[in-house]
Amino acid sequence: MEARLTAPPIPAAADAALTEDEKLEIENRFRRDIAAGRRRRLRRGLLLNLVGVLIFLAVWEALPRLVPGVNTQMFPPPSGVVMTLVGMMTDGSLAAHAWSSLKRVAAGFVIGSTAGILVGLLTGRLAMAQSLSDPVLHGLRSIPAIAFVPLAIVWFGLGETPKVALISWGTFFPVWISTFIGVRDVPKLYVQSALSLGASPLNIMFRVVLPAALPFVFAGLRHATAVAFVIVVAAELVGASSGLGYLISFSHLVFRIDMMFVGLLALGALGFLADAAFAALLQRVFPWYRSERNG
Amino acid sequence: MASLIEVEGVSQIFETREGLANWALWQVSMNIEAGEFVCLIGPSGCGKTTLLHLIAGFMKPSEGSVRFAGAPVGDPGPDRGVVFQEYALFGWMTARQNVEFGLRMRGMAKAERRERAREALARVGLERAIDRYPHELSGGMRQRVAVARALVNEPRVLLMDEPFAAVDAITRATLQDDLVRLWQQTGVSVVFVTHNVDEAAFLAQRVVVMRPHPGSVKRSVIVDLPYPRQRSSAEFARLYADIGLALGE
Repeated sequence: MEARLTAPPIPAAADAALTEDEKLEIENRFRRDIAAGRRRRLRRGLLLNLVGVLIFLAVWEALPRLVPGVNTQMFPPPSGVVMTLVGMMTDGSLAAHAWSSLKRVAAGFVIGSTAGILVGLLTGRLAMAQSLSDPVLHGLRSIPAIAFVPLAIVWFGLGETPKVALISWGTFFPVWISTFIGVRDVPKLYVQSALSLGASPLNIMFRVVLPAALPFVFAGLRHATAVAFVIVVAAELVGASSGLGYLISFSHLVFRIDMMFVGLLALGALGFLADAAFAALLQRVFPWYRSERNG
Repeated sequence: MASLIEVEGVSQIFETREGLANWALWQVSMNIEAGEFVCLIGPSGCGKTTLLHLIAGFMKPSEGSVRFAGAPVGDPGPDRGVVFQEYALFGWMTARQNVEFGLRMRGMAKAERRERAREALARVGLERAIDRYPHELSGGMRQRVAVARALVNEPRVLLMDEPFAAVDAITRATLQDDLVRLWQQTGVSVVFVTHNVDEAAFLAQRVVVMRPHPGSVKRSVIVDLPYPRQRSSAEFARLYADIGLALGE
């Protein structure tokens, strides 16, 4: 006890010698270093991404020329594909094909997912609706949607209707399933709260259950966009006169593999953009979602 | 005159996970008066939450009757406000939208319900958090919003199911003080489920001690201490011991 009382005080001289300005300067330098390090790592990452793409393109460019016996018509190098791409962009044919595919995807997606959400709400809330529809819906869901392409042509002919109908059909199932799961798993407390606040069944459905299930619904919609692109291509491969799927199948007939590559590229770009748009929308529409689940 | 809530010979049977029959409540009778503050206390499985849900109208008793304001309890409604333990605020609505929900369901005009919601949130000390989402609020603040959401509908009884169990002890003490103040200001009846002896002793005019297997009322402890209660007083200590003893019998 005695020793502790007589122990020398902690030397404060070193701290006291630092003026407020010097302290701020050290802090600033520290923050600058951290920020610079972060930028450096980011630049390095981006540079490596770019190098990876360049290596891929270089190998693709060189391979058809180096390997004996490869026909550049069959295996067009990137330079050739880019030439074709630029040509198709300037004459507007690429945009026309992309636009007719997009219209079909959008129409089918809206119809299919609206139906999916409504049926998901009904089957998730009403045990009777679920039991009634389960065998039929699950049975139909098990059949790959593109297997219906010939049937759609027989029933609806060669116009827009069979394509939109097929996409509606294919997008319905993932949206229905995920809405159903989201609705079924809505916490009971939400429904009980709404009941004791005087909400009618319809208000509970659309103001409480649906918003509570929205993150699930959204996952289903996102999956459905991918499905929609698969189906639009399948539908356009047979019995179409426009669209990216038609472009690919037409290129096959006229043996223009470079054009085929342009079609594939455009499909990849559209699919990627649609998914990125969904991800961005998710952040904007549900600012509350992630934090709620964690907290 | 009839009591506000009359529970008469109520039994409630449940199916256990093994498929057996389990009596959550057995032959429970009690009356709760208008303006009374009652705590239901007991270990888990004593049926205190079941009793609360029967009064709220979330389920019907297997046997016996539950009457509210002279009539058998029907569907849940805003005359019996419910505050749950946690996570019952709508996460996609701001504090104000949560409080407005009941008024909106009644079809009240927008301007009026906004004003009422603002007043209700001000009464629980949350005027400045009015546009925050639940995930932006602390556990204590969320429960204040939940109380405001129930009280804004001017219920005759507030049914509270361990509402402060998930918040820290310091916040809980503040919430208890505020609840007593709100109860005195509004004259609403409160049925408050807890498993915390201190909480029951601090809040209630009457503590109903329950026992499990099957859930039933063991004893009623009348508390005639004035509000606000002093936890450091000798009377409080005696009361605490009384309730503890009744629980342990």
